[in-house]
Amino acid sequence: MTLLRAQNLTRRYRLPRTKLLGPAPQLTAVDNISFDITAGQTLGVVGESGSGKSTLARMVMAFETPDAGNIQFEGQDIHALKSAELRRLRPAFQMIFQDPFSSLDPRRNVGWSIAEPLRAMGMHAPERVAEAFGQVGLHPQDAGKYPHEFSGGQRQRIAIARAIVTRPKLLIADEAVSALDVSVQAQILNLLMDLQDDLGLGILFISHDLAVVASICDTLLVLQHGKALEHGAASDILNNPAHRYTQSLLKAAGDRL
Amino acid sequence: MFELQNMTVRFSFGEALREASLRINPGDRIGIVGESGSGKSMLAACLMGMVPDAAELTGTLGVDGIDMTHASEAHWQTIRARRVAMIFQEPMSALNPLRRVGETVAEPMRVHLGLGKAQARARVSALFKEVGIPDPDSRLRMFPHELSGGQRQRVLIALALACDPELLIADEPTTALDANVALKITDLLVDLSRTRNMALVFISHDLAAVARATTDIAVMYGGDIVERGRTAEVLANPVHPYTQGLLAARPDPRAVPRDANGRRRRLPTIPGTVPPLYKLPQGCRFSGRCAVERSACAYVKPAPVGPRHATCHAITQDTL
Repeated sequence: MTLLRAQNLTRRYRLPRTKLLGPAPQLTAVDNISFDITAGQTLGVVGESGSGKSTLARMVMAFETPDAGNIQFEGQDIHALKSAELRRLRPAFQMIFQDPFSSLDPRRNVGWSIAEPLRAMGMHAPERVAEAFGQVGLHPQDAGKYPHEFSGGQRQRIAIARAIVTRPKLLIADEAVSALDVSVQAQILNLLMDLQDDLGLGILFISHDLAVVASICDTLLVLQHGKALEHGAASDILNNPAHRYTQSLLKAAGDRL
Repeated sequence: MFELQNMTVRFSFGEALREASLRINPGDRIGIVGESGSGKSMLAACLMGMVPDAAELTGTLGVDGIDMTHASEAHWQTIRARRVAMIFQEPMSALNPLRRVGETVAEPMRVHLGLGKAQARARVSALFKEVGIPDPDSRLRMFPHELSGGQRQRVLIALALACDPELLIADEPTTALDANVALKITDLLVDLSRTRNMALVFISHDLAAVARATTDIAVMYGGDIVERGRTAEVLANPVHPYTQGLLAARPDPRAVPRDANGRRRRLPTIPGTVPPLYKLPQGCRFSGRCAVERSACAYVKPAPVGPRHATCHAITQDTL
Protein backbone atom coordinates (compact mmCIF):
# COMPACT_ATOMS: atom_id res chain seq x y z
CA MET A 1 0.00 0.00 0.00
CA THR A 2 1.45 3.33 -0.99
CA LEU A 3 1.69 5.56 2.03
CA LEU A 4 3.35 8.56 0.52
CA ARG A 5 3.77 9.59 -3.07
CA ALA A 6 6.03 12.43 -4.12
CA GLN A 7 5.73 13.63 -7.68
CA ASN A 8 8.16 15.86 -9.55
CA LEU A 9 9.31 17.70 -6.43
CA THR A 10 11.38 20.78 -7.07
CA ARG A 11 12.65 23.30 -4.56
CA ARG A 12 14.73 26.35 -5.39
CA TYR A 13 16.45 28.81 -3.10
CA ARG A 14 17.37 32.32 -3.98
CA LEU A 15 21.08 32.98 -3.50
CA PRO A 16 22.54 36.34 -2.46
CA ARG A 17 22.69 38.85 -5.29
CA THR A 18 26.07 38.96 -7.01
CA LYS A 19 25.21 41.93 -9.24
CA LEU A 20 23.31 45.10 -8.42
CA LEU A 21 20.97 44.66 -11.35
CA GLY A 22 19.42 41.57 -12.80
CA PRO A 23 17.80 38.61 -11.09
CA ALA A 24 19.38 36.95 -8.06
CA PRO A 25 20.88 33.57 -8.91
CA GLN A 26 18.98 30.49 -7.82
CA LEU A 27 20.05 27.18 -6.40
CA THR A 28 17.90 24.19 -7.27
CA ALA A 29 18.24 22.15 -4.08
CA VAL A 30 15.80 19.46 -5.20
CA ASP A 31 15.25 18.96 -8.90
CA ASN A 32 12.25 17.01 -10.19
CA ILE A 33 12.30 14.12 -7.71
CA SER A 34 9.56 11.49 -7.55
CA PHE A 35 9.24 8.52 -5.20
CA ASP A 36 6.79 6.31 -3.33
CA ILE A 37 6.99 5.01 0.21
CA THR A 38 5.10 1.81 0.98
CA ALA A 39 3.79 0.82 4.40
CA GLY A 40 6.22 -1.56 6.12
CA GLN A 41 9.04 -0.65 3.74
CA THR A 42 11.97 1.73 3.83
CA LEU A 43 13.08 4.20 1.20
CA GLY A 44 16.74 5.06 1.67
CA VAL A 45 18.04 8.39 0.43
CA VAL A 46 21.80 8.75 0.12
CA GLY A 47 23.95 11.65 -1.00
CA GLU A 48 26.68 13.95 0.23
CA SER A 49 26.17 17.28 1.97
CA GLY A 50 24.41 19.75 -0.31
CA SER A 51 22.74 17.02 -2.36
CA GLY A 52 19.26 18.03 -1.21
CA LYS A 53 18.57 15.21 1.29
CA SER A 54 17.44 17.43 4.12
CA THR A 55 15.40 19.72 1.88
CA LEU A 56 13.56 16.61 0.75
CA ALA A 57 12.90 15.62 4.38
CA ARG A 58 11.62 19.09 5.23
CA MET A 59 9.20 19.02 2.30
CA VAL A 60 7.90 15.60 3.29
CA MET A 61 7.37 16.95 6.81
CA ALA A 62 5.55 19.96 5.28
CA PHE A 63 8.02 22.33 6.95
CA GLU A 64 8.68 23.65 3.47
CA THR A 65 6.56 23.97 0.36
CA PRO A 66 7.90 22.73 -2.98
CA ASP A 67 8.12 25.19 -5.87
CA ALA A 68 6.76 22.51 -8.16
CA GLY A 69 5.35 19.03 -7.73
CA ASN A 70 3.36 17.65 -4.83
CA ILE A 71 3.43 15.18 -1.97
CA GLN A 72 0.43 13.01 -1.24
CA PHE A 73 0.14 11.29 2.09
CA GLU A 74 -2.56 8.61 1.82
CA GLY A 75 -3.96 10.46 -1.14
CA GLN A 76 -4.05 13.93 0.44
CA ASP A 77 -1.81 16.66 -0.91
CA ILE A 78 -0.16 17.77 2.35
CA HIS A 79 0.89 21.16 1.00
CA ALA A 80 -2.67 21.97 -0.06
CA LEU A 81 -4.12 21.34 3.41
CA LYS A 82 -5.19 24.15 5.71
CA SER A 83 -3.01 24.46 8.78
CA ALA A 84 -5.66 22.97 11.10
CA GLU A 85 -6.09 20.00 8.77
CA LEU A 86 -2.36 19.52 8.53
CA ARG A 87 -2.11 19.58 12.32
CA ARG A 88 -4.71 16.81 12.52
CA LEU A 89 -2.70 14.74 10.04
CA ARG A 90 0.71 15.34 11.68
CA PRO A 91 0.54 12.52 14.24
CA ALA A 92 0.64 10.13 11.28
CA PHE A 93 4.09 11.23 10.10
CA GLN A 94 6.85 11.98 12.55
CA MET A 95 10.51 12.81 12.35
CA ILE A 96 13.68 11.67 14.15
CA PHE A 97 16.40 14.28 14.05
CA GLN A 98 20.13 13.84 13.75
CA ASP A 99 21.51 15.17 16.97
CA PRO A 100 20.17 13.50 20.12
CA PHE A 101 21.99 16.11 22.19
CA SER A 102 20.19 19.18 20.91
CA SER A 103 16.80 17.74 19.96
CA LEU A 104 15.70 17.16 23.58
CA ASP A 105 14.92 20.02 25.99
CA PRO A 106 17.65 19.82 28.68
CA ARG A 107 15.40 21.41 31.31
CA ARG A 108 12.50 18.98 31.00
CA ASN A 109 12.50 15.35 32.01
CA VAL A 110 12.35 12.98 29.08
CA GLY A 111 8.83 11.80 29.94
CA TRP A 112 7.65 15.34 29.34
CA SER A 113 9.52 15.51 26.03
CA ILE A 114 8.07 12.22 24.83
CA ALA A 115 4.54 13.34 25.73
CA GLU A 116 4.95 16.59 23.79
CA PRO A 117 3.48 15.36 20.47
CA LEU A 118 0.49 14.00 22.41
CA ARG A 119 -0.07 17.36 24.07
CA ALA A 120 0.06 18.96 20.64
CA MET A 121 -2.83 16.64 19.72
CA GLY A 122 -4.65 17.73 22.88
CA MET A 123 -4.18 14.31 24.47
CA HIS A 124 -3.12 13.31 27.95
CA ALA A 125 -2.14 9.67 27.76
CA PRO A 126 0.55 8.50 30.20
CA GLU A 127 -0.08 4.89 29.18
CA ARG A 128 0.96 5.79 25.62
CA VAL A 129 4.20 7.30 26.93
CA ALA A 130 4.90 4.17 28.97
CA GLU A 131 4.18 2.03 25.92
CA ALA A 132 6.60 4.05 23.78
CA PHE A 133 9.29 3.72 26.46
CA GLY A 134 8.89 -0.05 26.35
CA GLN A 135 8.95 -0.16 22.55
CA VAL A 136 12.36 1.51 22.38
CA GLY A 137 13.84 -0.65 25.16
CA LEU A 138 13.87 1.86 28.01
CA HIS A 139 12.36 1.47 31.48
CA PRO A 140 9.20 3.49 32.21
CA GLN A 141 10.96 4.67 35.41
CA ASP A 142 13.44 6.52 33.18
CA ALA A 143 10.68 9.02 32.36
CA GLY A 144 11.64 11.15 35.35
CA LYS A 145 15.25 11.53 34.27
CA TYR A 146 16.76 14.40 32.29
CA PRO A 147 18.55 14.15 28.92
CA HIS A 148 22.05 14.62 30.39
CA GLU A 149 21.60 11.41 32.39
CA PHE A 150 21.51 9.35 29.18
CA SER A 151 24.18 8.31 26.70
CA GLY A 152 23.95 9.30 23.04
CA GLY A 153 22.38 5.99 22.03
CA GLN A 154 19.80 6.15 24.81
CA ARG A 155 18.94 9.71 23.82
CA GLN A 156 18.34 8.57 20.28
CA ARG A 157 16.01 5.90 21.70
CA ILE A 158 14.17 8.68 23.51
CA ALA A 159 13.93 10.67 20.29
CA ILE A 160 12.50 7.58 18.58
CA ALA A 161 10.02 7.08 21.44
CA ARG A 162 8.86 10.66 20.94
CA ALA A 163 8.38 10.01 17.24
CA ILE A 164 6.35 6.82 17.66
CA VAL A 165 4.23 7.93 20.62
CA THR A 166 1.57 9.28 18.24
CA ARG A 167 1.44 5.87 16.51
CA PRO A 168 2.55 7.24 13.14
CA LYS A 169 2.39 5.41 9.84
CA LEU A 170 5.49 7.09 8.46
CA LEU A 171 8.82 7.87 10.13
CA ILE A 172 11.30 10.29 8.64
CA ALA A 173 14.83 9.67 9.91
CA ASP A 174 17.31 12.34 8.79
CA GLU A 175 20.85 11.17 9.63
CA ALA A 176 19.33 9.52 12.70
CA VAL A 177 22.33 7.28 13.42
CA SER A 178 25.16 9.40 12.01
CA ALA A 179 26.21 10.89 15.35
CA LEU A 180 26.43 7.47 17.03
CA ASP A 181 29.32 5.06 17.55
CA VAL A 182 29.38 1.94 15.37
CA SER A 183 28.12 -0.51 18.01
CA VAL A 184 25.38 1.89 19.14
CA GLN A 185 24.47 2.58 15.52
CA ALA A 186 23.84 -1.14 15.01
CA GLN A 187 21.55 -1.24 18.05
CA ILE A 188 19.49 1.72 16.83
CA LEU A 189 19.24 0.37 13.28
CA ASN A 190 17.98 -2.95 14.69
CA LEU A 191 15.48 -1.05 16.83
CA LEU A 192 14.12 0.73 13.77
CA MET A 193 13.81 -2.64 11.96
CA ASP A 194 11.97 -4.12 14.97
CA LEU A 195 9.58 -1.19 15.12
CA GLN A 196 8.95 -1.44 11.40
CA ASP A 197 8.09 -5.14 11.72
CA ASP A 198 5.86 -4.59 14.75
CA LEU A 199 4.08 -1.44 13.65
CA GLY A 200 4.17 -1.70 9.86
CA LEU A 201 5.87 1.67 9.60
CA GLY A 202 6.94 3.22 6.35
CA ILE A 203 10.36 4.80 6.82
CA LEU A 204 12.14 7.51 4.87
CA PHE A 205 15.75 6.94 5.90
CA ILE A 206 18.24 9.61 4.95
CA SER A 207 22.00 9.30 5.38
CA HIS A 208 25.31 10.17 3.79
CA ASP A 209 26.54 6.66 4.66
CA LEU A 210 25.65 4.16 1.97
CA ALA A 211 26.47 1.11 4.12
CA VAL A 212 24.05 2.28 6.80
CA VAL A 213 21.29 3.00 4.28
CA ALA A 214 21.88 -0.34 2.57
CA SER A 215 21.34 -2.24 5.81
CA ILE A 216 17.81 -0.95 6.26
CA CYS A 217 16.27 0.11 2.93
CA ASP A 218 14.11 -1.71 0.38
CA THR A 219 14.22 0.99 -2.26
CA LEU A 220 17.02 3.45 -2.74
CA LEU A 221 17.31 6.96 -4.11
CA VAL A 222 20.79 8.33 -4.84
CA LEU A 223 20.94 12.11 -4.92
CA GLN A 224 23.60 14.40 -6.28
CA HIS A 225 23.19 18.17 -6.59
CA GLY A 226 19.44 17.77 -6.10
CA LYS A 227 18.99 15.29 -8.94
CA ALA A 228 18.09 11.63 -8.73
CA LEU A 229 21.00 9.67 -10.17
CA GLU A 230 19.50 6.29 -9.41
CA HIS A 231 16.18 5.17 -8.04
CA GLY A 232 14.88 1.66 -7.66
CA ALA A 233 15.11 -1.58 -5.70
CA ALA A 234 18.05 -1.32 -3.32
CA SER A 235 19.44 -4.74 -4.23
CA ASP A 236 19.53 -3.83 -7.94
CA ILE A 237 21.37 -0.58 -7.37
CA LEU A 238 23.82 -2.00 -4.83
CA ASN A 239 24.65 -5.05 -6.94
CA ASN A 240 24.75 -3.21 -10.20
CA PRO A 241 25.25 0.53 -9.78
CA ALA A 242 24.66 2.30 -13.08
CA HIS A 243 26.24 5.59 -12.19
CA ARG A 244 29.87 6.31 -11.47
CA TYR A 245 28.97 8.36 -8.42
CA THR A 246 27.11 5.42 -6.87
CA GLN A 247 30.06 3.19 -7.68
CA SER A 248 32.40 5.56 -5.88
CA LEU A 249 30.09 5.71 -2.84
CA LEU A 250 29.91 1.93 -2.82
CA LYS A 251 33.66 1.71 -3.09
CA ALA A 252 34.11 4.21 -0.25
CA ALA A 253 31.71 2.21 1.92
CA GLY A 254 33.07 -1.14 0.85
CA ASP A 255 36.73 -0.20 0.88
CA ARG A 256 36.89 -1.74 4.26
CA LEU A 257 39.82 -3.93 4.91
CA MET B 1 61.24 8.76 19.39
CA PHE B 2 57.94 9.05 21.29
CA GLU B 3 57.27 6.35 23.82
CA LEU B 4 54.44 5.93 26.31
CA GLN B 5 55.09 3.33 28.99
CA ASN B 6 52.33 2.14 31.30
CA MET B 7 50.73 5.56 31.17
CA THR B 8 47.72 5.96 33.45
CA VAL B 9 45.65 9.15 33.53
CA ARG B 10 43.60 9.20 36.72
CA PHE B 11 40.90 11.69 37.60
CA SER B 12 39.06 11.84 40.92
CA PHE B 13 36.12 10.12 39.21
CA GLY B 14 37.98 7.39 37.34
CA GLU B 15 40.78 6.42 34.99
CA ALA B 16 40.59 7.83 31.47
CA LEU B 17 43.66 5.85 30.39
CA ARG B 18 45.09 2.75 32.05
CA GLU B 19 48.64 1.48 31.65
CA ALA B 20 48.84 2.41 28.00
CA SER B 21 52.09 1.70 26.20
CA LEU B 22 52.82 2.90 22.70
CA ARG B 23 56.05 3.34 20.80
CA ILE B 24 56.20 5.69 17.84
CA ASN B 25 59.18 5.72 15.49
CA PRO B 26 59.85 8.07 12.57
CA GLY B 27 57.58 7.32 9.62
CA ASP B 28 55.27 5.00 11.60
CA ARG B 29 51.59 5.17 10.73
CA ILE B 30 49.56 4.06 13.71
CA GLY B 31 45.77 3.95 13.93
CA ILE B 32 43.97 4.36 17.24
CA VAL B 33 40.41 3.10 17.06
CA GLY B 34 37.68 2.95 19.64
CA GLU B 35 34.30 4.43 20.40
CA SER B 36 33.40 7.50 22.46
CA GLY B 37 34.94 7.31 25.91
CA SER B 38 37.55 4.71 24.93
CA GLY B 39 40.43 7.02 25.86
CA LYS B 40 41.77 7.64 22.37
CA SER B 41 41.67 11.41 22.66
CA MET B 42 43.30 11.22 26.12
CA LEU B 43 46.12 9.23 24.56
CA ALA B 44 46.58 12.04 22.04
CA ALA B 45 46.50 14.60 24.86
CA CYS B 46 49.36 12.73 26.57
CA LEU B 47 51.46 12.90 23.42
CA MET B 48 50.74 16.64 23.10
CA GLY B 49 51.36 17.40 26.80
CA MET B 50 47.80 18.63 27.05
CA VAL B 51 46.38 16.41 29.80
CA PRO B 52 44.12 18.51 32.08
CA ASP B 53 45.79 19.69 35.32
CA ALA B 54 43.19 17.82 37.40
CA ALA B 55 44.59 14.48 36.22
CA GLU B 56 47.23 12.47 38.01
CA LEU B 57 49.75 10.84 35.67
CA THR B 58 51.69 7.68 36.37
CA GLY B 59 53.98 5.91 33.94
CA THR B 60 56.34 7.67 31.57
CA LEU B 61 56.21 9.58 28.34
CA GLY B 62 59.62 9.69 26.73
CA VAL B 63 60.51 12.05 23.89
CA ASP B 64 63.88 10.99 22.51
CA GLY B 65 64.66 9.39 25.83
CA ILE B 66 63.79 12.47 27.91
CA ASP B 67 60.96 11.90 30.38
CA MET B 68 58.30 14.51 29.64
CA THR B 69 55.63 13.08 31.97
CA HIS B 70 55.79 15.97 34.43
CA ALA B 71 57.50 18.50 32.19
CA SER B 72 56.63 22.18 32.55
CA GLU B 73 54.42 24.04 30.10
CA ALA B 74 57.47 26.04 28.98
CA HIS B 75 59.28 22.82 28.15
CA TRP B 76 56.26 21.52 26.22
CA GLN B 77 56.15 24.71 24.18
CA THR B 78 59.55 23.81 22.76
CA ILE B 79 58.18 20.38 21.76
CA ARG B 80 54.77 21.25 20.38
CA ALA B 81 54.54 22.37 16.75
CA ARG B 82 58.23 21.54 16.18
CA ARG B 83 58.24 17.92 17.33
CA VAL B 84 54.57 17.01 17.57
CA ALA B 85 51.51 18.70 16.08
CA MET B 86 47.86 17.87 15.94
CA ILE B 87 44.92 18.21 13.58
CA PHE B 88 41.67 18.61 15.42
CA GLN B 89 38.32 17.20 14.51
CA GLU B 90 36.19 20.14 13.46
CA PRO B 91 37.41 21.99 10.37
CA MET B 92 34.58 24.48 10.91
CA SER B 93 35.53 25.62 14.40
CA ALA B 94 39.30 25.08 14.50
CA LEU B 95 40.07 28.14 12.36
CA ASN B 96 39.63 31.73 13.51
CA PRO B 97 36.84 33.11 11.27
CA LEU B 98 38.21 36.66 11.51
CA ARG B 99 41.71 35.89 10.23
CA ARG B 100 42.89 35.11 6.75
CA VAL B 101 43.92 31.45 6.64
CA GLY B 102 47.44 32.41 5.50
CA GLU B 103 47.98 34.45 8.67
CA THR B 104 46.75 31.59 10.82
CA VAL B 105 49.17 29.13 9.22
CA ALA B 106 52.04 31.65 9.39
CA GLU B 107 51.63 32.28 13.12
CA PRO B 108 53.47 29.19 14.45
CA MET B 109 56.32 29.85 11.99
CA ARG B 110 56.68 33.38 13.28
CA VAL B 111 56.35 32.41 16.95
CA HIS B 112 58.35 29.17 17.04
CA LEU B 113 60.81 29.58 14.18
CA GLY B 114 61.16 33.38 14.33
CA LEU B 115 60.52 33.82 10.63
CA GLY B 116 59.86 37.27 9.15
CA LYS B 117 56.62 38.11 7.40
CA ALA B 118 57.82 37.55 3.83
CA GLN B 119 59.65 34.32 4.69
CA ALA B 120 56.63 32.95 6.50
CA ARG B 121 54.37 33.86 3.60
CA ALA B 122 56.56 32.04 1.11
CA ARG B 123 56.58 29.00 3.36
CA VAL B 124 52.80 29.07 3.76
CA SER B 125 52.43 29.22 0.00
CA ALA B 126 54.74 26.22 -0.42
CA LEU B 127 52.89 24.31 2.30
CA PHE B 128 49.51 25.02 0.71
CA LYS B 129 50.88 23.60 -2.50
CA GLU B 130 52.18 20.53 -0.68
CA VAL B 131 48.77 19.80 0.89
CA GLY B 132 47.01 20.16 -2.46
CA ILE B 133 45.41 23.58 -2.23
CA PRO B 134 45.17 24.97 -5.78
CA ASP B 135 46.27 28.54 -6.44
CA PRO B 136 47.89 28.89 -2.98
CA ASP B 137 48.83 32.57 -3.28
CA SER B 138 45.22 33.66 -3.62
CA ARG B 139 43.85 31.07 -1.18
CA LEU B 140 46.04 32.27 1.67
CA ARG B 141 44.26 35.62 1.54
CA MET B 142 40.88 33.99 2.01
CA PHE B 143 38.84 33.66 5.18
CA PRO B 144 37.72 30.22 6.43
CA HIS B 145 34.10 30.71 5.33
CA GLU B 146 35.24 31.10 1.72
CA LEU B 147 36.66 27.57 1.69
CA SER B 148 34.90 24.21 1.47
CA GLY B 149 35.12 21.67 4.28
CA GLY B 150 37.81 19.67 2.50
CA GLN B 151 39.86 22.82 1.77
CA ARG B 152 39.60 23.88 5.41
CA GLN B 153 40.85 20.48 6.51
CA ARG B 154 43.81 20.95 4.15
CA VAL B 155 44.50 24.35 5.73
CA LEU B 156 44.50 22.71 9.16
CA ILE B 157 46.94 20.09 7.92
CA ALA B 158 49.17 22.89 6.60
CA LEU B 159 48.89 24.59 10.01
CA ALA B 160 49.99 21.41 11.77
CA LEU B 161 52.92 21.03 9.35
CA ALA B 162 54.02 24.66 9.77
CA CYS B 163 57.09 23.80 11.85
CA ASP B 164 57.90 20.42 10.24
CA PRO B 165 56.84 18.14 13.12
CA GLU B 166 58.21 14.61 13.43
CA LEU B 167 54.88 13.35 14.68
CA LEU B 168 51.46 14.37 13.39
CA ILE B 169 48.40 13.42 15.41
CA ALA B 170 45.15 13.48 13.47
CA ASP B 171 42.09 13.25 15.75
CA GLU B 172 39.08 12.16 13.67
CA PRO B 173 40.37 14.09 10.63
CA THR B 174 37.74 12.75 8.24
CA THR B 175 34.67 12.42 10.44
CA ALA B 176 33.03 15.70 9.40
CA LEU B 177 33.73 15.19 5.69
CA ASP B 178 31.79 13.59 2.82
CA ALA B 179 32.93 10.09 1.84
CA ASN B 180 34.81 11.05 -1.31
CA VAL B 181 36.54 14.03 0.32
CA ALA B 182 37.44 11.87 3.32
CA LEU B 183 39.27 9.44 1.04
CA LYS B 184 41.35 12.24 -0.47
CA ILE B 185 42.28 13.67 2.93
CA THR B 186 43.25 10.21 4.18
CA ASP B 187 45.46 9.65 1.15
CA LEU B 188 47.04 13.09 1.59
CA LEU B 189 48.01 12.27 5.19
CA VAL B 190 49.61 9.01 4.05
CA ASP B 191 51.55 10.80 1.30
CA LEU B 192 52.80 13.46 3.71
CA SER B 193 53.90 10.82 6.19
CA ARG B 194 55.83 8.99 3.45
CA THR B 195 57.50 11.97 1.79
CA ARG B 196 58.46 13.65 5.07
CA ASN B 197 59.26 10.45 6.99
CA MET B 198 56.85 11.86 9.55
CA ALA B 199 55.09 9.60 12.05
CA LEU B 200 51.30 9.68 11.86
CA VAL B 201 48.92 8.80 14.67
CA PHE B 202 45.50 8.50 13.06
CA ILE B 203 42.69 8.49 15.60
CA SER B 204 39.29 7.51 14.29
CA HIS B 205 36.19 5.46 14.87
CA ASP B 206 36.04 4.98 11.09
CA LEU B 207 37.66 1.59 10.53
CA ALA B 208 37.71 1.96 6.75
CA ALA B 209 39.73 5.17 7.01
CA VAL B 210 42.13 3.62 9.52
CA ALA B 211 42.59 0.59 7.29
CA ARG B 212 43.51 2.86 4.42
CA ALA B 213 45.83 5.17 6.34
CA THR B 214 47.82 3.02 8.73
CA THR B 215 50.15 0.05 8.94
CA ASP B 216 49.69 -0.60 12.67
CA ILE B 217 46.68 -0.29 14.90
CA ALA B 218 45.76 -0.10 18.59
CA VAL B 219 42.16 -0.82 19.57
CA MET B 220 40.92 0.93 22.71
CA TYR B 221 38.02 0.34 25.04
CA GLY B 222 37.31 2.00 28.38
CA GLY B 223 40.81 3.51 28.65
CA ASP B 224 42.65 0.27 27.86
CA ILE B 225 44.50 -0.67 24.71
CA VAL B 226 42.81 -4.07 24.29
CA GLU B 227 44.57 -5.26 21.15
CA ARG B 228 47.29 -4.11 18.79
CA GLY B 229 49.14 -5.33 15.74
CA ARG B 230 49.47 -4.86 12.00
CA THR B 231 46.33 -3.08 10.79
CA ALA B 232 45.47 -5.57 8.07
CA GLU B 233 45.93 -8.55 10.40
CA VAL B 234 43.92 -7.12 13.28
CA LEU B 235 41.01 -6.11 11.05
CA ALA B 236 41.01 -9.41 9.16
CA ASN B 237 41.41 -11.60 12.22
CA PRO B 238 40.58 -9.79 15.48
CA VAL B 239 41.29 -11.75 18.67
CA HIS B 240 39.83 -9.55 21.42
CA PRO B 241 36.06 -9.99 21.94
CA TYR B 242 35.55 -6.22 21.77
CA THR B 243 37.39 -5.88 18.46
CA GLN B 244 35.39 -8.81 17.12
CA GLY B 245 32.10 -7.21 18.22
CA LEU B 246 33.03 -3.83 16.81
CA LEU B 247 33.96 -5.23 13.40
CA ALA B 248 30.82 -7.37 13.23
CA ALA B 249 28.55 -4.41 14.04
CA ARG B 250 29.48 -2.46 10.92
CA PRO B 251 26.82 -2.51 8.24
CA ASP B 252 27.86 -4.11 4.97
CA PRO B 253 26.47 -2.46 1.82
CA ARG B 254 26.53 -5.77 -0.05
CA ALA B 255 24.62 -7.81 2.52
CA VAL B 256 21.11 -8.81 1.55
CA PRO B 257 18.79 -6.94 3.90
CA ARG B 258 15.84 -9.38 3.70
CA ASP B 259 15.80 -13.18 3.66
CA ALA B 260 13.46 -15.40 1.63
CA ASN B 261 10.68 -14.97 4.20
CA GLY B 262 10.90 -11.21 3.92
CA ARG B 263 12.52 -10.92 7.34
CA ARG B 264 15.13 -8.23 7.55
CA ARG B 265 18.61 -9.27 8.58
CA ARG B 266 19.56 -7.71 11.93
CA LEU B 267 23.05 -6.36 12.56
CA PRO B 268 25.16 -8.16 15.16
CA THR B 269 25.43 -5.93 18.23
CA ILE B 270 27.46 -5.65 21.40
CA PRO B 271 24.94 -5.79 24.26
CA GLY B 272 24.65 -2.88 26.67
CA THR B 273 26.39 0.47 26.55
CA VAL B 274 29.83 1.84 27.45
CA PRO B 275 29.62 2.65 31.17
CA PRO B 276 30.65 6.11 32.35
CA LEU B 277 34.22 6.46 33.65
CA TYR B 278 33.24 6.17 37.32
CA LYS B 279 31.35 2.92 36.71
CA LEU B 280 33.98 1.07 34.68
CA PRO B 281 34.66 -2.44 36.02
CA GLN B 282 37.90 -2.81 38.01
CA GLY B 283 39.13 -5.78 36.01
CA CYS B 284 38.57 -6.07 32.29
CA ARG B 285 36.80 -2.89 31.19
CA PHE B 286 34.74 -4.90 28.72
CA SER B 287 33.27 -7.22 31.36
CA GLY B 288 29.51 -6.93 31.66
CA ARG B 289 29.19 -6.74 27.86
CA CYS B 290 31.38 -9.63 26.82
CA ALA B 291 30.16 -12.90 25.31
CA VAL B 292 33.05 -15.01 26.66
CA GLU B 293 33.17 -13.50 30.14
CA ARG B 294 34.42 -15.52 33.09
CA SER B 295 33.84 -14.96 36.78
CA ALA B 296 37.19 -13.26 37.40
CA CYS B 297 36.92 -10.82 34.49
CA ALA B 298 35.18 -8.01 36.36
CA TYR B 299 37.76 -7.96 39.18
CA VAL B 300 41.11 -8.97 37.76
CA LYS B 301 42.81 -6.82 35.16
CA PRO B 302 43.87 -9.09 32.30
CA ALA B 303 47.55 -9.01 31.40
CA PRO B 304 48.45 -8.49 27.74
CA VAL B 305 48.79 -11.86 25.97
CA GLY B 306 50.62 -12.87 22.85
CA PRO B 307 51.89 -10.83 19.91
CA ARG B 308 48.65 -8.79 19.83
CA HIS B 309 49.00 -7.80 23.50
CA ALA B 310 45.32 -8.69 23.82
CA THR B 311 43.99 -7.95 27.29
CA CYS B 312 41.50 -10.79 27.73
CA HIS B 313 41.32 -13.62 30.26
CA ALA B 314 39.73 -15.90 27.67
CA ILE B 315 42.80 -15.65 25.46
CA THR B 316 45.81 -17.79 26.35
CA GLN B 317 48.93 -18.67 24.43
CA ASP B 318 47.18 -21.91 23.42
CA THR B 319 44.07 -20.32 21.97
CA LEU B 320 46.06 -17.85 19.89
